[in-house]
Amino acid sequence: MNKIQITIIVILLAALLAFPQFITSESVLNLAVYVLLYVSIASSWNVLGGFAGQTNLGHAAFFGVGALVTRMLWFAGWNIFASMVIGALVAVVLALIIGVPAFRLRGVYFAIGTLALSQILLITVGNTFSTISSIPTEDLKVYSLVPRYYMFLGVALLTIVTAYVLLNSRFGLGITAVREEEDAAESLGVSALKYKMLAFGISAFFGGLTGGAFAFYHVGYYPQLTFGPEWTFDSMMMAYIGGVGTIVGPVIGAVFFVVLREFLALRFAEFHLIIFGVLFILVVLFLPDGFMGIWEKIRKRLLRRSK
Amino acid sequence: MNKRNLNWIVRIGLLVALVAVVAACASPTPEPTKVPPTAAPAPTKAPEPTKAPVATTAPTKAAEPTKAPAATSAPAPTTAAAKPAPAYIEVGASIPLTGKFGSLGQQVKPGYQYAVNDINAAGGIYVKEFDKKIPLRLTVYDDASDPTQAVSKMETLFADQKVVAYLGGASSDMHVATIPIAEKNKVPYLGVSFALNAIHQKGYKYLFSPFPKSPQQTVDTFAALNQLIPDASQRPLKVAIFAEKSDWGAEEEALWKENATKAGYTVVVDEQYAVGNLDFTAMILKAKAAGAETLLALPNQPSGEALIKGMVENGWTPKFSLIIRAPENVTWSTNLKKNGDYVTIFPGWNSAMKFPGVDQLNKAYQAEFKRDADLLTGPSYACVQILAKAIETAGTLDRDKIRDAIAASNTSTVVGNVTFNADGTGKVLDPLIQWQNGKLEVIWPLDHATAKIMYPAPAFDKR
Repeated sequence: MNKIQITIIVILLAALLAFPQFITSESVLNLAVYVLLYVSIASSWNVLGGFAGQTNLGHAAFFGVGALVTRMLWFAGWNIFASMVIGALVAVVLALIIGVPAFRLRGVYFAIGTLALSQILLITVGNTFSTISSIPTEDLKVYSLVPRYYMFLGVALLTIVTAYVLLNSRFGLGITAVREEEDAAESLGVSALKYKMLAFGISAFFGGLTGGAFAFYHVGYYPQLTFGPEWTFDSMMMAYIGGVGTIVGPVIGAVFFVVLREFLALRFAEFHLIIFGVLFILVVLFLPDGFMGIWEKIRKRLLRRSK
Repeated sequence: MNKRNLNWIVRIGLLVALVAVVAACASPTPEPTKVPPTAAPAPTKAPEPTKAPVATTAPTKAAEPTKAPAATSAPAPTTAAAKPAPAYIEVGASIPLTGKFGSLGQQVKPGYQYAVNDINAAGGIYVKEFDKKIPLRLTVYDDASDPTQAVSKMETLFADQKVVAYLGGASSDMHVATIPIAEKNKVPYLGVSFALNAIHQKGYKYLFSPFPKSPQQTVDTFAALNQLIPDASQRPLKVAIFAEKSDWGAEEEALWKENATKAGYTVVVDEQYAVGNLDFTAMILKAKAAGAETLLALPNQPSGEALIKGMVENGWTPKFSLIIRAPENVTWSTNLKKNGDYVTIFPGWNSAMKFPGVDQLNKAYQAEFKRDADLLTGPSYACVQILAKAIETAGTLDRDKIRDAIAASNTSTVVGNVTFNADGTGKVLDPLIQWQNGKLEVIWPLDHATAKIMYPAPAFDKR
């Protein structure tokens, strides 16, 4: 990474920090919150699904647990940051508990196992916490999107930076080896279970942390909402659209996904899902490596020319 | 990637993340009031049974329908120069037109649209502040039955369309997400298609719902039975309640139990089932063994059809069934055929109701959909009528004044005369409707009845 690239990143981050000072429209700010929410959850899914190659269809369980614990603690009078961290840690504990039996499964069986977990939690939470969770009316009078924006920005950056550090460390080498050929990695002394568990725990932590930020953001919902399978499938879709297994892929995917879906929804009413579905199929057909695949092709072509 | 560059990136990223978190701290966000998220709804005082409003053919001026405000009802123009009027009065709705609540949203949207069309055909709403009639402009967004998307659409309607009022979507799941946004933005919110009363007890100031709520439904259940079956010895006194494990289910269950006892009925079976349950065998067998004669349940689809199929398979036919929600679906009779008959519902309205404007609404609906207006279309049409009347009464587009006018309103609508309680619940008619030979018939209140109650229900194999 050269100085120009670092300068671009610094300018981009400064712009993100200054964004709410220049944008007064609640609609635009809400859209930005929405994008950051999905950047966080897609990036956290990518740690296990992309870097480790373990297709986790139960990511909503960690997002949901983080949201549920955070909301309960926060409403009980705890500080929001402490609530979020505890929520994320509970998600990690859940991941570690189910990780050991789940990683006995491979491939599609692991995916089905994790999906079953999130569905069990969805039903259990629906039955146990069946009443509305809404921010008290008095607090709505001072509700502002600005702190929510910064909260999501903080969570998104933490997730991305952590993913970046992980990928550029010994852990990155180990988990890549496990993803590419698990048996070969094992034969070279790489503990596949250890690396997969680490990736699972980190993915669950940031999924839970994002859930906590959601609990801080959303004014009113039924607790089971955060356990819905759409949180998993949307995250997965964003990671694939942007470029699964890369740092920037889920970020690009989330921006593309949220902005396009919102744009279509505001213009095409009930037809927007059909249009969105068709566009998604086209992306999958023509960009199997996501948007990062295009960038990679361009980069290789430029390198070839320069030689 | 060399180690020096990596360190740089990490430092910058962490620094910005830290600044963002500090900024989140620094912004004014007080800790919320200590309210457990699972707090049970406050017990609700049971209201008086529904009294049918008089279907006047010549309503009083105060209760005149607002869909076509007469020119003579407008106050005389003032001599002072009026403010420049906006081209439209903006109203908006985030409705689930697709996804799991799409079938409800598709009934709500035409109600809003037809009402706006009718009002605009008469020139719009007279607003004294501008001394002229201004047409309504309705913006509808599809939230795909996703509460998070609904929040986003609500903010867009507020920021971009600058709506003077929100019209609600459909189903409790969606309303609980959108109502707090209306409260936050201080925009009046008129919504139907939810019977949950607990949400009205949260102190929301801008929420209004001209739709029957649980306390009214549970009182009316037994008031209707007693009036429809005058001979006490013939009444289905042994009651089985199958309640959905949701806040609305718990609310209806508690109130049904309370009001059953008051009305002289005995609850012999009280069972709960998870949302989406498709196997009711155990509770059906319990009800059969206990000799239950009345079934009270509130399943959504496909649970509702599964319940009837379970009853057929297990040979249990209660004399009277009130199944709220699932049988409101237009496919109920098509799918269940004769087994779907005899079932009653509390949908809030029916196209056979004798109120001013219903014929016109049915005509428009017939032209577009080849059938009379759907059950939720009338109440949603009424929301726009109430709003229009309130804007005219307020004489301004100021949201707070419109809110006050709605709270004090007394409007003749296609669902009858509507006024509001202090908690925003509407004082509305709560008709009991029965599936009879594949058709929906009003059976109570008696002065709105289009058919007599079919009672007792014969065994499924004898139909």
